[in-house]
Amino acid sequence: MSEKKAPFFVGYLGIPKALKGFLLKLSILIFAGFVAGAVLAGATQDDPGEAGFRFDYGRQTVTGVLETKPYPLLYVTEGNERIKAGHTMMLSGQGKTPIMANLSQLEGNEVKVSGIILKRGDLDMLQVAGGQRGIEDLSKQGTIPKSEPLGKWKLQGEICDGKCLAGAMNPGRGLAHKACANLCLLADIPPVFVSSNPIEGQEFLLVAGPDGGPFPRELYNYVGQFLELETDIERRGDLLVLKINPSKITVIK
Amino acid sequence: MDQAQAIFFAFQVWCNIGAIIALVFLTIGIDRIDEDAQGAYVFRLLLIPGILLVWPLVLWRWFILETKRDVWKNRHQPPRHAHFWVAIIFAITIPAVIIIGLSVRQTWPTNFEPQKLSLLQEQSQ
Repeated sequence: MSEKKAPFFVGYLGIPKALKGFLLKLSILIFAGFVAGAVLAGATQDDPGEAGFRFDYGRQTVTGVLETKPYPLLYVTEGNERIKAGHTMMLSGQGKTPIMANLSQLEGNEVKVSGIILKRGDLDMLQVAGGQRGIEDLSKQGTIPKSEPLGKWKLQGEICDGKCLAGAMNPGRGLAHKACANLCLLADIPPVFVSSNPIEGQEFLLVAGPDGGPFPRELYNYVGQFLELETDIERRGDLLVLKINPSKITVIK
Repeated sequence: MDQAQAIFFAFQVWCNIGAIIALVFLTIGIDRIDEDAQGAYVFRLLLIPGILLVWPLVLWRWFILETKRDVWKNRHQPPRHAHFWVAIIFAITIPAVIIIGLSVRQTWPTNFEPQKLSLLQEQSQ
């Protein structure tokens, strides 16, 4: 075909007859290529599993004793249909914000807490409603259950932020989620260790610092990676808490 | 200094250098290389954020124009001659990055069973 007779595509005019077949084949090829790419990329990702905010339960209100170290925990004394008495509930604020300023003033007090449950399997957390609707101080000293030491353990797994892991995001773990997780941890959201296999029947453990305080910022770089830890574990209510030992952390190859 | 602090420090240094260059360029340089800018001042404030980020490019263009090395025609020729090789390089590097990323990612330790090493009481003795 000479240069002058060669079909020429102009967007706002009809498609030249000679180009219709080529255009159709190219369109199918591009579409199939994108579908194949999406399927292949999706196949490399792990199933995030069932987790999320349980708005369908409605707002939950329970009473319990508040502990703020290493992270806000509620030892439920008067539960309801969804949250039973005796359960240790991890608490978080709205989004990536702390529950309230000066929460430590309520340490050991009986409080009425209201919020929305996040749930992934055995892991749950209560996102506390804002302001007075969220935490009501009952001005009564409560009893924080004594922690029960379970000894030193060698574990493999991953440190995540408990809120995204429990379903605020899906997936809420892994290297791609590391920056989000660290922002959550900066907002006093409890970090959670996901163990490769259950420890004393539990797969999820609250992570505390070596001194029993918050998870140290110097260790944030380990969040989202698969790790091997040697660590002390204790039981608080029905929640397992590990005290991380910075010198006994190894990144799994 | 951890990685985040190092990145933030490097960004601060970069922007501080950019601020000095913006000050010099917008008060002295721009009048010397662009006669249309002479006597116009308010718009210069709008250039500050851009200069903070791309100050090496500003310095380079200032140098080219100041030393009369600029070839006006070349500047407006689209760099299409590089497109072929750029496309080839992208077609190789993008899949390579994905494949390398997938091959070096960690594997979840499914088979590892937690091991109890000792009791706290035993450690303290």
